[in-house]
Amino acid sequence: MKRWLRAVGSWFDARLKVREVLLPVLQHPIPRAAAGPKGWFYIFGSASMTLLFLQILTGIGLALVYVPAADQAYQSLQYLNYRQPLGWFLRSVHYWSGSLMVVMVLVHMTQVFLHGAYKYPRELTWVLGVFLLLLTLGLAFSGQVLRWDADAYWGLGVGASMAGRVPVLGPAVVTLLLGGPVIGGDTLSRFFALHVFILPGLLLTVLAAHLWLVLTRGISTPPVPGEKVDPKTYDAAYERELRRGVPFLGEALRKDALFSALVVILVVVLAAVAGPKGPSGLPDPAVQGANPRPDWPFLWTFGLLSLAPPGMETFLMLVFPAFLVLGLLLVPFVSNRGERAPSRRPVAVLTVLVGGVALAVLSYAGATADWSPHMGAWSGAPVPEKVVARSAPRELAGAAVFQNKSCRDCHALEGSGGRRGPDLSGVGARLTRDQLIDQVSNGTPGGGNMPAYGKHVSPAEMDALADFLVALRPAGRPPSRTPTQ
Amino acid sequence: MGAHRWGGMVVVGLIAAAGCDPPGKPRPGDDAVRPEQVLDFGKLYAQNCSGCHGADGRLGPAPPLNDPLFLVIVPDAELRRTVAEGRPGTPMPPFDQAKGGPLTAEQVRVLADGIKRRWHPATVSPAAVPAYAAASPATDGESSARGIVVFARACAGCHGDHGQGSDAGAIHDPAFLTLCSDQALRRYVITGRPDLGMPGFSPSFGRPAGFQPLSAQEVEDLSALLASWRKDGTGRSAAAAGTVARGGFPLP
Repeated sequence: MKRWLRAVGSWFDARLKVREVLLPVLQHPIPRAAAGPKGWFYIFGSASMTLLFLQILTGIGLALVYVPAADQAYQSLQYLNYRQPLGWFLRSVHYWSGSLMVVMVLVHMTQVFLHGAYKYPRELTWVLGVFLLLLTLGLAFSGQVLRWDADAYWGLGVGASMAGRVPVLGPAVVTLLLGGPVIGGDTLSRFFALHVFILPGLLLTVLAAHLWLVLTRGISTPPVPGEKVDPKTYDAAYERELRRGVPFLGEALRKDALFSALVVILVVVLAAVAGPKGPSGLPDPAVQGANPRPDWPFLWTFGLLSLAPPGMETFLMLVFPAFLVLGLLLVPFVSNRGERAPSRRPVAVLTVLVGGVALAVLSYAGATADWSPHMGAWSGAPVPEKVVARSAPRELAGAAVFQNKSCRDCHALEGSGGRRGPDLSGVGARLTRDQLIDQVSNGTPGGGNMPAYGKHVSPAEMDALADFLVALRPAGRPPSRTPTQ
Repeated sequence: MGAHRWGGMVVVGLIAAAGCDPPGKPRPGDDAVRPEQVLDFGKLYAQNCSGCHGADGRLGPAPPLNDPLFLVIVPDAELRRTVAEGRPGTPMPPFDQAKGGPLTAEQVRVLADGIKRRWHPATVSPAAVPAYAAASPATDGESSARGIVVFARACAGCHGDHGQGSDAGAIHDPAFLTLCSDQALRRYVITGRPDLGMPGFSPSFGRPAGFQPLSAQEVEDLSALLASWRKDGTGRSAAAAGTVARGGFPLP
């Protein structure tokens, strides 16, 4: 049997010459140190690629069922979730594998950056890597749009509005992406083509070039402090290194395979335990109370744009991302020689730390979105029972006014309610009755955050509301006084 | 050999995983529902009512709904009308879309009917309980004059001789009374606020010795008295003084 198989194999190979091409590729020498314990730094690129293949496989599976039509996409997702055997699992694996792919690409990029692996002669490898990151993010965004729910609808609306701000070309870009000036019947088909054909095609092409460069220019040796990159001498030194190198088909491939397998297992476990994402609410602009959030790779932009002053918005949407990408592309040209070890490159380490912290903080801000009023708090967040239990009749009436006028949507009580304005649990100890009435009537001085409610509150309501607010203070604390009293 | 065993375990594990439901598997109940298609009383109540009427229908600033006596006397039609149209002039807003609210007529019906279904106790006899609605809407001066006597007997012990507040808060207070409908005042006289320790028309605790439940006429008179205080300027200063005194901080 074995002999027979081998005979068939040789028959084909004699004609296809696969072994002649593939074996040297697999056995190309890599630096000896990269096959040792430090080789564990080199596993993230291959893991990203493994996840990409998992995405293609699960993506094909999903495309067999998914209907990219505005009126049927949501139902086809529900069909996958509830009717198709293991359809939910396919969706779940596709989501988690895609999420981990973004993570893995970022980790891979950070490792390459910290180890100075982008320096001479691998500048182009880095540049293609930046495009791979952008394409991965593009796939994440278009994938979020295909999950045709409220998040997708509003996320797309925001994205299209941003694209529309591009000078001169804006309207044309929007029409190209959406198939019209607004989200309509053609939009989903466009994004289906983008997500399934255009972006993966581009990604695979760029990836092939990226891998070609990895093969031809080799992978860098693990950095050693003091060993500087000098374009004049580097090639000869690397040649010497490879001559005492080891084949890729061996320890290095084993590490890649082991890590990739662990990552796939992680994806399967996450998919089974955490389940698929959405679809959340319906993609219907007429549905009230939608509370859309972008998927996690874009939460930081949501945070940044929401916290930025209005005058900076266009800059942050158009100029800042262009600078960011340009900066990434220029990294290997700004520093393509010198030290590679992180211990000798404090600026690189600081850049990663500051960038990472900024992304984490902005993502957290985007996830909590404290600036958004909780539109249902006025009728859905109970006034704390201990406040009710100690209140006089007029204060109770004031509490009802507080809810009825939607104060609660921006002001929490005991931590429950909106967070746009301050929590008012202890406000009676901070502001006097007159100050409170002034604040409610006139809002924040100088046209700040809080609108003026003077015209929307009757004298009786204001009386009751002020009493309620004055009574909101910790037990035993006196009401606030002004110095003149 | 070892590899074969592992492979076998993985295959068995996969088959087992396909057979049972992992925690990530979506359940039809988790499905997003259009807001106007929510017809579950619990959800509707939590989203639309709990803010003022309390998470369990009591201990909120608005009159409690989870109150056995109230649920016995209130007519179904009145519940539906109040949810749909609100009580103009008070913080109770209309909820029916036809009146500018957020809910469909079907949702209003589910909410209004669900209140009794959720909190209605099985055994309370409505005998001898004054009617929910007043017999005559007119509140004449004579009736409110009689109300003063009833007030002294049934309310003054806690709310003070003139309703200026004592152990319990001030009710001789135009702001409070303006934000309370006549119907709500009458309802408080009948049911009290058991969740806040206020007795209704019949319990004798906190009342003078020999207290008899209020008659229908007395309920009427007392409500008329409270309504008459709404337009009476004297309550304002009394209530303000009561507020400061309750702060526990002696004025200089």
